[in-house]
Amino acid sequence: MFCGASSHADESPVIPPDEYVFCTVCHGVQLKGNPLIEAPRISRMEAWYVERQLHAFKKGWRGRHERDLNGMEMRPMATSLSNDDIDAVAAYVRSVDSERPAKTVQGNAAIGRAHYASCVECHGENGEGKEALGAPSLTGVNDWYLITQLKNFRDGTRGGSAGDNYGAQMRAAAQILTNDQAIFDVVSYVSTLPSKQEK
Amino acid sequence: MQKNYSRRHFLNLVGAAGGSTAIYQTSLALGLLPETGPLALADIQKIGGHRKKVLILGAGISGLASAYELERAGYDCTVIEASKRIGGRNLTLRSGDHVDELGYDQVCNFDDDPNLYFNAGPARIPGHHKHVLHYCREFKIPLETYVNDNRNAYTQDSKAFAGRPVRIREYMTDARGFLSELLHKAVNKNDFEQPLSDEDKERMLQFATVYGDLDTNAIYKGSSRAGFKHGGFVEHGELKGVLDFSELLKSNFWRYRMHWAEGEDQAMPVLQPVGGMDNIIKGFVRHIRSPILTNAQVQSITLRQDGVDVVYNQNGKRNKLSGDFCMNSIPHHLLSGIYNNFPKDYAAALASIERGHLCKIALQMKERFWERDNIYGGISWTTQPIEQIWYPPHGIHSEKGIMLGAYTFRPENGRFFERLSPDDRIKAAIEQGEKIHPGYGDYVDCGVSVPWGRMNHIMGCNARWSEELFRTSFDRLLNPEGRHYMMGDQISYHSGWQEGALSSAHHAMADINERVQAEISGPTALG
Repeated sequence: MFCGASSHADESPVIPPDEYVFCTVCHGVQLKGNPLIEAPRISRMEAWYVERQLHAFKKGWRGRHERDLNGMEMRPMATSLSNDDIDAVAAYVRSVDSERPAKTVQGNAAIGRAHYASCVECHGENGEGKEALGAPSLTGVNDWYLITQLKNFRDGTRGGSAGDNYGAQMRAAAQILTNDQAIFDVVSYVSTLPSKQEK
Repeated sequence: MQKNYSRRHFLNLVGAAGGSTAIYQTSLALGLLPETGPLALADIQKIGGHRKKVLILGAGISGLASAYELERAGYDCTVIEASKRIGGRNLTLRSGDHVDELGYDQVCNFDDDPNLYFNAGPARIPGHHKHVLHYCREFKIPLETYVNDNRNAYTQDSKAFAGRPVRIREYMTDARGFLSELLHKAVNKNDFEQPLSDEDKERMLQFATVYGDLDTNAIYKGSSRAGFKHGGFVEHGELKGVLDFSELLKSNFWRYRMHWAEGEDQAMPVLQPVGGMDNIIKGFVRHIRSPILTNAQVQSITLRQDGVDVVYNQNGKRNKLSGDFCMNSIPHHLLSGIYNNFPKDYAAALASIERGHLCKIALQMKERFWERDNIYGGISWTTQPIEQIWYPPHGIHSEKGIMLGAYTFRPENGRFFERLSPDDRIKAAIEQGEKIHPGYGDYVDCGVSVPWGRMNHIMGCNARWSEELFRTSFDRLLNPEGRHYMMGDQISYHSGWQEGALSSAHHAMADINERVQAEISGPTALG
């Protein structure tokens, strides 16, 4: 009856340092994400990207736009961190693993693949990301979170702050996704990509 | 044209004029109301030498009551609490207390004084909340009356009376006066489906007259119930003018607030423990011998055929406990962030409930200015995001008082405050309070806010059930999945109330008791 008791947590646990347990309250055990809190999976996220985003929250590039309600929830966490804390959090996030999230979005991956052609240059053929270009890996991120963020980029909720050059770049790139269906399709395609970060 | 009314229609009309009190009295007379049932305390039999291990997740009111009851019956209990504090949302803040909000550590800067405390979670105990009162009696916790309703307090609506605060006394007296006058006219015409008998009609006309304080011509021209403009003691009392009926209708007070304190959970008298609601938590802690592990965050819950395994982190170490049963009060919205092997439909039922965003803000006031305005306890209501202001009924005529400067019922209002920094929340609460009490801000020493949607290891209050969800998911979650029981106020029809938490815990314990007794006495115990 209760076979297959999944406890990834038991297999490769990374016990968060006491001072960063709070990350797991929303982002879940092993940072596996919690859709009910709308906190995405961040396990294995590249340390350089975590750092950049925490700084972006701290500066108010993220989490200050009036429509970015989830970002506003997150922002005080980042503002309470010192630069050293941010380095430590990024290292912790990178060290934690969890299984890839379940697929929740039904789009047309074949059409999405065509849209994805314009993403390849920065995010890589397999969505593995390119640090040199400042583009993070897309695999292993919750599909529902990618959708929220693509919409945010498209309408300027994210990537519209002066100084946020990477954000502005992505905001411009998101303009090719002219309707919500295009976003569902491209995210459906991304969720078929092999995950490099878990290797 | 003849208009006919059904009895229900007629009751509605009575309700419009008299509010729920009138309906209640009428229904009572008709024998339509159920009797209040006896206290359903689980009768947990002692299990003697049989070892039964129960893992209790969460040291809120339901977890503590479970440990207390089960250990006395011989069960081996361990309580696993993620936060550093015991009590869950039963939280009383006093001078120097830490407020464990994610991203915004706050310290409560109230003066050190027994009257200056803030019940940030539950704050009132109605007389029919028998489980809560049972434990107050058992632990000898002194209780006092809490003032939950006060006609001298205000209602303030930006869309009515030019935004001016109006005494609830005036609003209610005039609303009932106007409606009684209309009711009197309707009854006089006797246009009902089943016309009233002459005798009933006469009684009803008298009812309307008395209820609305109508004059001898059955017209409402004001009433002393609204309070006098001046006089009334050694001078003749002069009535206040009657409020503009159109303004009265524009105000949203009648939609909900006007009858709010007539609900069974809110009607006076209600009670509070002297000195803070957390005296109930202290009572449990004084009596519980089982280990209560704090800073122990659950990582996984694995249901097995004959028990439940729980893995948790504590002090940088990972530990695993196995129990015959697990009683789980972890907030439903956090479980999807914890590894588990719940069946899909069970997990889906848990995930279907939205988390709530109740938020309370407390202000320490230099002077109890409201008492000079004839207000001793109770609540003023406003359409602004703060929604309510509570006046402390304890410490009357002492120097200072802790006023509740906001209590948001609407999720959008809770989220409004969640998005602000603690300092900005206090500023917003003061700005809005000024609309009810001009000069309000001058009295504020300091403040503290508790937005439950941001509180560490809690992240929400209260579970937002809908009628539809109660139909589709409640029984699934009330009943155990194998040897795992969900509990807490979240698994009750009284989400957000300690009585809901205790009822749910006792429901689960009664079931565990039954199963264990069957195991002990049945053939399986031999085999």
